Amino acid sequence: MKKLIMTAVAIGLGTIALADTPASILKSYEAEAGAAGSVARGQDLFMSQHTGGKPDTPSCTTCHTSNLKASGQTRVGKTIGPMAVSANPERLTDAAFAAKWLRRNCKSVLGRECDAQEKADIIAYLMSL
Amino acid sequence: MSRQQNPTDCEPSVPVWDKFVRIFHWSLVLCIFTAMVTGFLMGPEMVPVHVYAATTATVLLFLRILWGFFGPTYARFSSFTFSPRTVLRHALAVRSGHAKRYLGHNPLGGAMILALIAAIALLGVTGAVVLGGVLKIGPLAGFASYMTGDAAKEVHESIALFLLVLVVGHIGGVAFESKHANDPLVPAMVTGKKPARDGDVKSPTVRVYLRTMVVVSALGLAITVGGMTAMASKKSANMPVTNISPLVADECTACHMFYHPSLMPAKSWAALTATLDDHFGEDASLDEETTAEIRDWLMTHASETADTQPANIFTRALANGAFTLTEMRFWKQMHHEFSDADFSAAPVYTKSNCAACHKDASTGMFSPFKIEE
Repeated sequence: MKKLIMTAVAIGLGTIALADTPASILKSYEAEAGAAGSVARGQDLFMSQHTGGKPDTPSCTTCHTSNLKASGQTRVGKTIGPMAVSANPERLTDAAFAAKWLRRNCKSVLGRECDAQEKADIIAYLMSL
Repeated sequence: MSRQQNPTDCEPSVPVWDKFVRIFHWSLVLCIFTAMVTGFLMGPEMVPVHVYAATTATVLLFLRILWGFFGPTYARFSSFTFSPRTVLRHALAVRSGHAKRYLGHNPLGGAMILALIAAIALLGVTGAVVLGGVLKIGPLAGFASYMTGDAAKEVHESIALFLLVLVVGHIGGVAFESKHANDPLVPAMVTGKKPARDGDVKSPTVRVYLRTMVVVSALGLAITVGGMTAMASKKSANMPVTNISPLVADECTACHMFYHPSLMPAKSWAALTATLDDHFGEDASLDEETTAEIRDWLMTHASETADTQPANIFTRALANGAFTLTEMRFWKQMHHEFSDADFSAAPVYTKSNCAACHKDASTGMFSPFKIEE
């Protein structure tokens, strides 16, 4: 019994240490920004047309579409899993992956990197759907 | 020899072309016609049809050559192989209108048959070299380099043009005889019978060695197929890398299909990986360390290291370090039959999505046998 509890605790700690969750990723960006993520601001940023970025990708919806519970598509036809956390169990479970794509895609769409507040807003929005 | 009355002109008719010769003739016509149309006029997606038709023609020809030794009188080479002098004399006689009528092939016709057989046999051999060297398939895949295959392609095309000239000459000769000598040669190749006339030059009747024919052809085909299978097991040198770096596969297929490193020279991969922040209109940048690892692997297995057709062609076409494959003249030539709409329609979406039709795109091979539209 003691052994079993020890094992369970070890697995639990291991899981916490290894796997990121949407909440943990959101929390780290909120901590960096010093404010909570806003669903409304996140939605506005995600759904708007922008002009500062690369001409082929004026909006997040260019590839992700405006239905975030459904799959999107890259410009060369490859399927992108749903962005909504509720529709895709893998979404926002790898902080490094999320960071890489937030960096790349903000530069493609906005022409600059997003700040921590904007990232927190987007993540809050994707978690709210 | 059985004689039959021909009801239309009351000339007696005699059998000349046996069933094997007739079936062979029209089957060969079909195969050569198919091979010519696909070879001269059609695109790479028809290469498989070309190869199948040509292989069939080669097998037919092999059997016909044996039949020329074991078959009946007018199928024998001995009945239509004449000395050059006899051929020349016959040609002069045709011109002056005093040519003798031969029941089988006349000396000119016989020379034409020999030339046709030689041309088709040479096409078979050179075709196998092209198949092995350029496409890395068939019995010569392990023996012929791309350079050898490419040179053989030139020879193959020249012989094919020569064969086309021969075919025109053959048909012209038949048409001439049909008209001027009133000899129905085309029906004769269907029914096998020709009208017998006074003064016909006949060949001495010989017996048919049917059993020998069956044994020799079965043995010959078995040895050929066995030998070719054994040869085909030899691996080609400098094939594209098959052990793909998981990092490269993972990062490079996040947005698009996997482009094999053997599709571009090292210089192009260096240029491409140096500009990932503006990668065909998108930011695909990675940290320095990851970028370097990906770049090094791609450059190590770049097109200079592979002997495939795409590797050879792209090494030259992209020698300046360019990396947009779809802007190459070669790419445009190969895809000229497709409109922009064909490419933008699902499930292709873009010219860069090679794998939509080229089922072996990720291997770098781009075999015409793996195209599915």
